Amino acid sequence: MNRRFTCIVCPNGCEITAELDGGKIVSVAGARCKKGGAYVRQELTCPRRTFSTSIILEGGKLPLVSVRLTKPIPKEKIFAVNELIHRQKAQAPVRIGQIVLENVLGLGSDVIITKNADRLS
Amino acid sequence: MEHQYDCIVIGAGVVGNAVARQLSACSVTIAVLEKEQDLCFGTSGRNSGVLHAGFNNKTGSKMARFCVEGNLEFDRIAEELDVPFKRTGKLIVGFSDDDKNSLRAMKAQGDANGVPGLEIVGKERIRELAPFIAGEFAMYSPMTGILNPFIYTVALAENAHKNGAAYFFACPVTDIFYQDGRYRITAGGRNFASRWIINCAGLESDKISALLGIKGHKLYPCRGEYFILDKKAGQYLGIPAYPVPNPREGGLGIHLTPTIDGNILIGPSSKYIEENDNYSVTQDIMDLLIKDGGRIFPYLKREYFIRNFAGIRPKLVGPQEGGFADFVIERRSEAPYAINLVGIESPGLTSALPIAREVVRLIREVEPLKPNPGFDPVRKGPPAFAGLTNGQRRALIQQNPDYGEIICRCENITKAEVLEAINRPLGAATVTGVKYRCRPMMGRCQGGYCQTRITELLRQEKKLAVKEVLYQRKGSNMFTGVALK
Amino acid sequence: MTAIHKEAVIVGGGPGGLAAAVKLKQQGITDIIILEREKQLGGILRQCIHDGFGLTRFGETLSGPEYAQRFIDLVEQEKIEYRTDTTVLSISPEKHLTAVSPQGLLEIDSAAVILTTGCRERTRGSVAIPGERPAGIYTAGVAQTYLNLKNIMVGKKVVILGSGDIGLIMARRFTLEGAKVEAVFELQPYPGGLARNVEQCLNDFDIPLYLSHTITDIIGGARLEAVIVSEVDEQKRVKPGTSRRIECDTLILSVGLIPENELSAGASVALDPRTGGAYVDENFMTGVEGIFAAGNALHVHDLVDFVSLEAEKLAEAAAKFIRRGKLPVCGIKLVTDKNIGHIIPQSISGTKDVTLTLRVGRPLTGGALKLQQDHQDLLSQKFIKLVPAEMIEIKLAKELIKSTSEIKVVIAHE
Ligand SMILES: Cc1cc2nc3c(=O)[nH]c(=O)nc-3n(C[C@H](O)[C@H](O)[C@H](O)COP(=O)(O)OP(=O)(O)OC[C@H]3O[C@@H](n4cnc5c(N)ncnc54)[C@H](O)[C@@H]3O)c2cc1C
Ligand SMILES: Cc1cc2nc3c(=O)[nH]c(=O)nc-3n(C[C@H](O)[C@H](O)[C@H](O)COP(=O)(O)OP(=O)(O)OC[C@H]3O[C@@H](n4cnc5c(N)ncnc54)[C@H](O)[C@@H]3O)c2cc1C
Ligand code: SF4
Repeated sequence: MNRRFTCIVCPNGCEITAELDGGKIVSVAGARCKKGGAYVRQELTCPRRTFSTSIILEGGKLPLVSVRLTKPIPKEKIFAVNELIHRQKAQAPVRIGQIVLENVLGLGSDVIITKNADRLS
Repeated sequence: MEHQYDCIVIGAGVVGNAVARQLSACSVTIAVLEKEQDLCFGTSGRNSGVLHAGFNNKTGSKMARFCVEGNLEFDRIAEELDVPFKRTGKLIVGFSDDDKNSLRAMKAQGDANGVPGLEIVGKERIRELAPFIAGEFAMYSPMTGILNPFIYTVALAENAHKNGAAYFFACPVTDIFYQDGRYRITAGGRNFASRWIINCAGLESDKISALLGIKGHKLYPCRGEYFILDKKAGQYLGIPAYPVPNPREGGLGIHLTPTIDGNILIGPSSKYIEENDNYSVTQDIMDLLIKDGGRIFPYLKREYFIRNFAGIRPKLVGPQEGGFADFVIERRSEAPYAINLVGIESPGLTSALPIAREVVRLIREVEPLKPNPGFDPVRKGPPAFAGLTNGQRRALIQQNPDYGEIICRCENITKAEVLEAINRPLGAATVTGVKYRCRPMMGRCQGGYCQTRITELLRQEKKLAVKEVLYQRKGSNMFTGVALK
Repeated sequence: MTAIHKEAVIVGGGPGGLAAAVKLKQQGITDIIILEREKQLGGILRQCIHDGFGLTRFGETLSGPEYAQRFIDLVEQEKIEYRTDTTVLSISPEKHLTAVSPQGLLEIDSAAVILTTGCRERTRGSVAIPGERPAGIYTAGVAQTYLNLKNIMVGKKVVILGSGDIGLIMARRFTLEGAKVEAVFELQPYPGGLARNVEQCLNDFDIPLYLSHTITDIIGGARLEAVIVSEVDEQKRVKPGTSRRIECDTLILSVGLIPENELSAGASVALDPRTGGAYVDENFMTGVEGIFAAGNALHVHDLVDFVSLEAEKLAEAAAKFIRRGKLPVCGIKLVTDKNIGHIIPQSISGTKDVTLTLRVGRPLTGGALKLQQDHQDLLSQKFIKLVPAEMIEIKLAKELIKSTSEIKVVIAHE
C-alpha cells in the first residue's frame, strides 16, 4: 500500500510517497533530505506538532505576549496544551526564552515567551 | 421626558443639515433626528460628488432652478464652510449624429435654465480639456464642479449645531401624531414635541409623509453602482466626462468623475431594486461599468480598482415611466405645519441650500421667523496634513506632536486629524464616520495599515468596549470580543 | 531647516532593513540611519507569532518575533542609529528624503537609499467581490494584527477566501482561539500557500480546502451573515448550479500581497508590473542610481530567511557604491517566457556570479528550466514539479556568460 505525506519539517514541503507493508515502511520517495523519512516514520507512530499562541501580559504596552512550544508534542494533545497555556498570565517585563510552563503535561516540551516586552512606565 | 423644539428636521443628510443650518439663521429652536449613528450615512455619502450646472433638468422645474442657484453660489459657500471644491468644468461626449442632436437640445435647455458658458466643442478642444477621453465632439460646461460630499454634509451640520441646532443620532422616527398644536414624535425610544416638522428623510421620506398623513407619494429605489479607481489613474482625468444620457434611464449615464481627492469614480449604473437599503454591488453591473467606462476612458485598467460602492436614488417615477420627476417640496393642508420633501434625487447635493431656503420661505408663509442675531455662517475645518507645505507642517507638529504621527499611510493622514474627527462637536462615533471626515481607509490599501489604529483610537476616545466598536450602521459591530480574558 | 547628510538611509526596519543595516556597518559604512514608522523595529514579524522562521539563516526554527529580535540585538550591538515612529513621506531622485515624526520633520540627503518597506495586502476592492458591504470582512494580515497584537477576536464563524500563507496560518490561529473555521476557498486549482501550511494549519484541524472555488455574493446589511460560494471552471467562470450558501460572521481575505512602493513613484523608480516592485540589477540597485530595494518591497517572499539574505547581498553592493560612487554597468537584460511569473534581478553585468530568484506563473510538472543567450543554452536544470508558492533560485556563474546580449529564461517541456 502507498501513502502520501507532505513533510512539514521545512518550507520545501516535499510530497513523500511511502510504500507500506502492514505498519512497516518498505521505501520512501520524494523527500529531498533525510529528515523526510524520519518525518514519515513519526507520522505513522505518533504524529507530533508544535504551535504558537499568546498569553495575557499584565503591565505591558501590549495586552498580550506570544509564546511557543520548544519541542513538538503529540498532535492529539494540542487542544489540551493550548487550553492550559491560555490559563497562564505573564507580568511585564518579559524576555524571549523565559519559561511559562515547564515540561507541559509531562510531554517533554516547555512553553516559552517569544517576545521582549517592557513594563509600561 | 419630552424634548421640545420649534422645528424638528428628520434626517441628517445634506438636505436635512442644510435645512437645519438655514433655520439656525432664524430665532427658533431646532433638533435634527437621525436614525443612523452618524451624519451622512444615506445618499449624501453615496453619490458622484458633482456640483451640477443645471442643464439636465427641465426648464421651469424646481430641479433646474435650485440646481442653477446652488451652482452659482457655491464658491462663496465652499469658502464659508471650508469645503474642498473645484470648478473643473465638465464634458458630455458624443459619438453619433443622434448624440449631437441630443447635445444641442441639452445646450438649449441649459441656456434657457440660465446656465452660463455652455459650448459645443470639437475633438481638438476635448483633447485640450481631457487628453485621455474619447469622443468625436462634446458639450462643455465650464460651471460644473466637484466637491467633497461628506465634508459638505458634515460642515452644514457642524455650522447648524454651532448656531444652536441639537442633533440626536440612533433616533429613527417611528411615530408622529398631532396634538394640541404640536407634533408628538417617537424616535429611537425617545419622545419629542415640535411645532414644525421638516421631512428630509431621503429614501424613507415617503414613509414619513405617510406618518404625517400625506398620501400619494411612493418612492422607487434605484441603485447606482460605482468603481473607485486609484489615484494613479486620477492623473489622467481632471474633469468629469459623461456620455450623452439615455432619457429613458433616469440617470445621467455611466460617467467618469474625478473626486476632489484625486481618485476617479466610474458609474453610476441605474437599476430599480426592491429594498431601499441594499447597497450590494453586482457582477453584471461591474462588468457593465468596465465596458461603458472604457468607451469614454480607453486607458481603464483593472489594477486601478480599489473599491466599489453603491448609492440609491429615491425616485418618484417607477421603472415603467423612467426619467425624472421634479423635487417635491410642499406644505399640504393634511399637515399644515410640516414641510414635506420627497424625491430629492440628483441634483440634490447641488441644490441642498436653495432647497433649504425654499423650506424657510414656506414656513414664513405661515409665521414670521425673526433672524437669529448671533448667526455665524462660518465653519472652519481642521487642517489636513497632506495638503500643507513643509513649513506649515513643522509649525503644526510643534503645536501638537500628534500631527507628526502618520495613521493612514496611503493618504498621509495624521493621528491629530483622526482625533479631531472623533472629538469635534458632532464628531465621528463609528469607523465609517472617521473615514468620511478625514479620509483614512479610503486610499489604495483600504485600511490595511490604519484600520487597527483607528478602531483603537475610537475605543480610547469614546471609552468603548471591544464589542461596541461599529463599522457603520447599528449591528455592524467590528469585533465579537477579546480573545483572551 | 537644512538637511542632514548620511551615507545610507534605510527606509523600513523590518528584517530586510535590519539585515541591510547590520551588513553595511560590518562593511565599514558607519554613517547610516534606519527609519521605521512603527513604534518598534521588527516589521511584519512582530505579528507573525507562529514558528517556522530562521531554518535557513540560523539553522533553527524560531517564531517571527524571535527572528526579528536577533537582528534588533545586532543593530543595538553595532550601535546603529535608528528612529521609530518616523514615517518617510517622500524621496526625490536626488535622494533627498523627508520624514515625519512627533518630534517634527526630518530631512536627509543621502548617498544611498535602501527601500525595505515591505508589502501590503490585496483587498476586497482590488479583487472586486460582489455583494453587500457589511462589517466582518478583513484581510488576513489585519485579522492577525487584531488577534496577535491587540487581543481582539474579529469573529467566531469564519470563511477564508484565498489560500495564501497568511490565510492558512490564520485558520489555525482562529481555531486555537476558539473560532470555527468553516472552510478555505481558492480560485486557482492549486493552493497559494506552502504545502506544509496546508498540512499543519488545515488538514491537522480538519478544515476543508476547496480549490477552483470563489465567492460570488456577500450577504449581510450590517454584519456579515453568509457568503455564497461557487465552483469555477478552467477559465475561472462560475459553473452554473454549483452555488451554495455558507453561514458565517467573518470573511478573511488572503488574496495576495503587493510590494509597498508608495515612495518609488516620487523617486522616479520604475516598477516591474510582474513583481509590483522595482526593476533592479544584480546589485539590487533600482533604475535610479543609489536607490536600492530588497525584501518584500522588491518582490513578495514567503520566507523571511531569504529576505535577510537578499538584504545582506544588497548591503554588500551598496557599501561598494558608497565607497566608489558607482557600480559596474548591468547591461544584460533577463527576459522570461510566459511560464515564469517573475525574476529578480532583471539585469546583470556578466562580471560576477549571480543568484537569480524566480517564481513560475502556474504549477508545472516535468521539464527543464533553461537560461539561453544568443540561442544557446547557458544552463539547464531539470525539475519534477514547480509551483508558484515556492521561490526558485538558480546560480549563474560568470564564466557561462558569453556576450552582452539578453539572457532568456525559459521552461522547456519534456
Ligand atoms: C448614485 C447617485 C449619484 C448622485 N450624484 C449626485 C451628484 O453628482 N450631484 C448632486 O447634486 N446630486 C447627486 N445625487 C443626489 C444626491 O446625492 C441626493 O439628492 C442627496 O444626497 C439627498 O440628500 P438627502 O439629505 O435628501 O438624503 P440622505 O442623504 O439620504 O439623508 C436622509 C437621511 O434621513 C435619515 N432617515 C431616514 N429615515 C429616517 C427616520 N425614520 N428617522 C430619522 N432619520 C431618518 C437617513 O438615515 C438619512 O441619513 C446622486 C444620487 C445618487 C443615488
Ligand atoms: C502577514 C505575513 C505573514 C508571514 N508569515 C511568514 C512565515 O510564516 N514564515 C516566513 O518565513 N515568512 C513569513 N512571511 C514573510 C516574511 O515575514 C516577510 O517576507 C518579511 O517580514 C519581509 O521583510 P521586509 O523587511 O521586507 O518587510 P516588513 O517586515 O514588512 O518590514 C517593512 C517595514 O518598513 C516599514 N515602512 C514601510 N514604509 C515606511 C515608510 N514610508 N517610512 C518608514 N517605515 C516604513 C514598515 O512599517 C515595516 O516595519 C510573512 C509575511 C507576512 C506579510
Ligand atoms: S524532506 Fe527534507 S527537504 Fe523535504 S520538506 Fe522535509 S525536511 Fe524539507
